[in-house]
Amino acid sequence: MIPLTHYLVLSAALFCIGLYVVLAKRNAIQILIGIELMLNAAILNLVAFGKHDKVNNGGQMFALFAIVLAAATTAVALAIVLNVYRRYKTIDPDKVDKLKDKN
Amino acid sequence: MKETLTSDNMNMAYHALAAVMMPFIAFAVNFFLKRGSKVSGWISTIAIAISAVISIIIFNHTFNTGTIHFSRTWFTIGATNVPVGILLNNLSVLMLVLVNLIALPVHIYSMAYMSHDKNYSRYFTYLSFFCFSMLGLVVVDNLALVYAFWELVGFASYLLIGFWYKKQSAVQANKKAFIMNRIGDVGLLIAILILFVQYHTFDIGTLFGKDGLVFHSVINAGSWIGPVTQLPQVWQYVACGGIMLAVAAKSAQFPLHTWLPDAMEGPTSVSALIHAATMVAAGIFLLGRVYPLFNVHELDALAVMGCFTAFMAASIALTQNDLKRVLAFSTISQLGFMVMAMGVGAYASSLFHLVTHAFFKCLLFLVAGVVIHEMQHIKDENGLDIDPQNMLYMGGLRKKLPLTFIAAVIGGLALIGLPLTSGYLSKDGILIQAFEWSDSKAGIFKIVPILTLITSWMTAFYVARLIFKVFFGKFRLLDVHPNIKFHVSDGGWNYKLPLVFLSICCLFPVFSLNPVLYEHAWVYKAFLPSNFLERQNIYHTIIPAGLNILSLVVIYWAYAVYIQERKLPIRQNNWLFDLSYNQWYFNNLYNAIFVKPVLALSNGLFVFDRKGIDGFIHALQNIVIWLGKLAANIDRYIIDGLLHLLAAIVKYIGNLVRSFQTGRVQYYLISMLAVIVAWFIFKTLI
Repeated sequence: MIPLTHYLVLSAALFCIGLYVVLAKRNAIQILIGIELMLNAAILNLVAFGKHDKVNNGGQMFALFAIVLAAATTAVALAIVLNVYRRYKTIDPDKVDKLKDKN
Repeated sequence: MKETLTSDNMNMAYHALAAVMMPFIAFAVNFFLKRGSKVSGWISTIAIAISAVISIIIFNHTFNTGTIHFSRTWFTIGATNVPVGILLNNLSVLMLVLVNLIALPVHIYSMAYMSHDKNYSRYFTYLSFFCFSMLGLVVVDNLALVYAFWELVGFASYLLIGFWYKKQSAVQANKKAFIMNRIGDVGLLIAILILFVQYHTFDIGTLFGKDGLVFHSVINAGSWIGPVTQLPQVWQYVACGGIMLAVAAKSAQFPLHTWLPDAMEGPTSVSALIHAATMVAAGIFLLGRVYPLFNVHELDALAVMGCFTAFMAASIALTQNDLKRVLAFSTISQLGFMVMAMGVGAYASSLFHLVTHAFFKCLLFLVAGVVIHEMQHIKDENGLDIDPQNMLYMGGLRKKLPLTFIAAVIGGLALIGLPLTSGYLSKDGILIQAFEWSDSKAGIFKIVPILTLITSWMTAFYVARLIFKVFFGKFRLLDVHPNIKFHVSDGGWNYKLPLVFLSICCLFPVFSLNPVLYEHAWVYKAFLPSNFLERQNIYHTIIPAGLNILSLVVIYWAYAVYIQERKLPIRQNNWLFDLSYNQWYFNNLYNAIFVKPVLALSNGLFVFDRKGIDGFIHALQNIVIWLGKLAANIDRYIIDGLLHLLAAIVKYIGNLVRSFQTGRVQYYLISMLAVIVAWFIFKTLI
């Protein structure tokens, strides 16, 4: 049997890779992929902890919710990316800097 | 004292008030007239003439009939009523007439004498003011008012002596007169205050009248016991000393006599008025008013003071070359006679001499005025640089100025005191009583009458010298400037009338029908009980005879020296001559004793002020400036610096925070991550 620690280490690695992708990539699609990686790290944790709740299977339940939510948010995010592209002709988040005040 | 206030007497009081106020009205009117207006002369003269007429009416009514006293409360301080009122007795009525009769001719004379002066109007303004002050002094009934008018007389004389205020010497002279008189005023004030403390009244009648408070006070066992209260004995002496000081200042007695010769810087007609019946007579008048206050020792002191003054001034008059200065010292000398007479108890003689002296001294000054006026003419016409008052340039004027010459001779003879003149009557009275007085005293007091006799002969000499130098011989200005042209004359009626009037007043019939016996003079009788007038001893015969015979010898001697130009038996430039010529060095002495130390002290104080006080102030100022700078720096660098630092910190933080708001999503995320990580680290560590 694989101990819980391995899951958690894998999950942390996945989360950190995802975080790195979100912060470092110059492409909005890749950032979305980073977010998916982070979500999956979280879901992996849930599933791993769910193994110890055999009565209610709460971990599995939360994992299903998170997968659904991730699919929904990704759909919204893709829509935003498409709109951003339409307005700025780019999906590089560094060049999309109109959120800040004009100075 | 019995006071009778019938309606007739009330009338007289109002008359007296009118007589005093006339010159004041003239003063007030002149004050508002245009400068140099010729009307002012007439206004003042008419005012004084009316005043003179009124005073003669009062005189006829009141003289020898008793006392009129009219008084109202002026103001009240606490329980003290200060009255204002009029006291008419023989003394004040006589003075009232005398002042007016002297002032009137002087006014008339002044109209001519001052007619070319730019400040003609100002002159008569002052003159009227002066007459008002003097008349007021004569008639007021209490010491508080006496003091007020005493001050006014002093102030008026200050104005008149310094009338030509652009002349440095005149300014010096009037300052000197004023300061000297202030010293006397302090004395008078002290005396009045002591009398008030002792008797609780200012009223002259209550104090010095018959059965007055002063008569009822005795000095016993070191206390001065009066009817009201008692003081230590010393205060009685202080009061008398104060009055003596006041008399010395006003009547130019030693040691305060030096202002009077300098007062010659005023116009000559002013000199005539001040020297005759008014300013300098005020001291004698005051003595007459407060006479009962003096006890025997104080009277002795008065006698010695007067005698010494008379002798000293006469000896100075022997050698002076300034015409008016000779007369000024003569006045001091004659006033010395009067003070001496008061001292020896010859009260009536003193006042009699005051009256006669007023006329002949006024006459002599007016004569001097005519001479000086003509000399000034000569000087102006020929553009000479001479002193018109210097007798050394004069001579032989008797043919040019016949009337003036006659007036001068009459005045001179009266001043010497030769028979047939008024001066004979009054002066012999003084001398005889001086001898009688010394008989009752210790031997040392014999000096007083003998010195007075010598003074009389010196008077004869300097008067003769003056008349010979001015009116006899040849006109000495021609020796110095041989080519000058001149035509001089006695002048108009303004000059002649006063001279004639005053000349008549210098003759014996005005005062006594008997030309040789002073006891018959009416002025004399008015002040004494009649039994006092008996010819008690041989003095009444030998003194007048001896005095006058020797006076004639002295006059002849002067004639020999100055007209026949024989040599004096003594050399001229010995130390006695120097002493006399330099006025006994009193001016130098006072300069050395008083003026120089005061100046030195003032200079010292000035330096102290400059260096000490100003230095301290400057140091203080520097400290304050330094503190101010320090405060400014603290404000600028520390307080402002703190604020600026705060502002800089806030700005830095603001800039730092602003740099987070880049608008880039990923930076926001990093920031959030950093904050969360920081939070967890924080949580973990603490």
